[in-house]
Amino acid sequence: MVIQTVGAFLAVISFSLILELPKKYLILSGTIGAVGWLVYLLVQAAAGSVIAAAFLSTLLVALFSHIAARVCKAPVTVFLVAGILPSVPGASIYRSVSYVISNDPVLSSHYLVETLQVSGAIAMAIFIMDSLFRLGKKK
Amino acid sequence: MNDKLLVETAVLAGEIMLISGAEIFRVEDTIDHILRKAGRNTAEAIVFSTGIFASLNDPSIEAITVARRVTVRNTNLNRVYLVNDVSRKLCADLMTVEEAFERLKEIRKTVQFHKRLKDMGFMGVAVFFTLLLGGNARDCVAAAVTGAVLAVAMEISLKIRLNDFCANAFCAFLIALTTLFLERWGLPGIKSDIIIIGAIMPLVPGVIFTTAIRDTLNGDYASGTARIVEAVVIALAVAAGVGAGMGLYQWLTGGYFIW
Repeated sequence: MVIQTVGAFLAVISFSLILELPKKYLILSGTIGAVGWLVYLLVQAAAGSVIAAAFLSTLLVALFSHIAARVCKAPVTVFLVAGILPSVPGASIYRSVSYVISNDPVLSSHYLVETLQVSGAIAMAIFIMDSLFRLGKKK
Repeated sequence: MNDKLLVETAVLAGEIMLISGAEIFRVEDTIDHILRKAGRNTAEAIVFSTGIFASLNDPSIEAITVARRVTVRNTNLNRVYLVNDVSRKLCADLMTVEEAFERLKEIRKTVQFHKRLKDMGFMGVAVFFTLLLGGNARDCVAAAVTGAVLAVAMEISLKIRLNDFCANAFCAFLIALTTLFLERWGLPGIKSDIIIIGAIMPLVPGVIFTTAIRDTLNGDYASGTARIVEAVVIALAVAAGVGAGMGLYQWLTGGYFIW
């Protein structure tokens, strides 16, 4: 678990290098990503569902990103984008394709559906947090 | 106040943000705020994912309208952050329009991290994702090699100006091929699937996807759907590339050739 969390921290920081995240927020966004991944692992272990894990961890990451953005006076995107990275369903996309190649349409469509469900869960989580933080805000 | 320069500044700020991957509502908001500094009757900004229109009008002046087409896309969160900062300062009168314009021109070219550091970023993502997906030390070594191949592939496709779809497919193709051949000859026993998953992570359109959702939520349906389609197309390109790589590997090693 510790190794996984540290791995997530470093993975998010590496990704931040590619996205040119502002230097002074590297550590913060790495931490947000690591916490998100920790929650992902815990939920997955407790509920046994990738979708629930992606949903709850993204919800938390979005919450932290909004708070960080307000504290640092920076756009939310800066923190959000790198933070949700670990829960992005890259594995499902890959497996879906790999079963197409090995001629297994049943497993392939299973993973395709999982990809859509996980992306939907992430979208929903961001959506909910965005809406919450927009409450009472003047247009 | 120089209206013309103000409009130029606003549009330049919007352009940098749009190219760097900011959400539509943030771009419109920034342009709006800057334009409103002129104190004219009408200050409107319409932003799509592919272009910007901004207009400033008042009975006392001739209308100023600027249109800007945006074709490239290059995620750079630092620029989004810096432009946001400039617009904040400009609106709080901590900066003159001239200063802001000069600063924006600088921001347009700012690069924070050296190219090699970004290459390290690609390798890092591959290595640490392999770790997250349950890889051991050998897998991570293989992932580092694959990540390096990805970085080189990225540079090649930039140099020969490959379009986005082909560039993504090409990178994914090389990732799959490298990993599978490494498994066969270099480091037998590595888990090729999780290494490929880790290495394609930088290609997977997470940023565009996030932005698309937030655009849609904000009522920018045209840009939201455009970006969702963009994300789907990229995902398809990556899938096609990985698929082609695996197919080629199977074909090369699957009996047609004797190795």
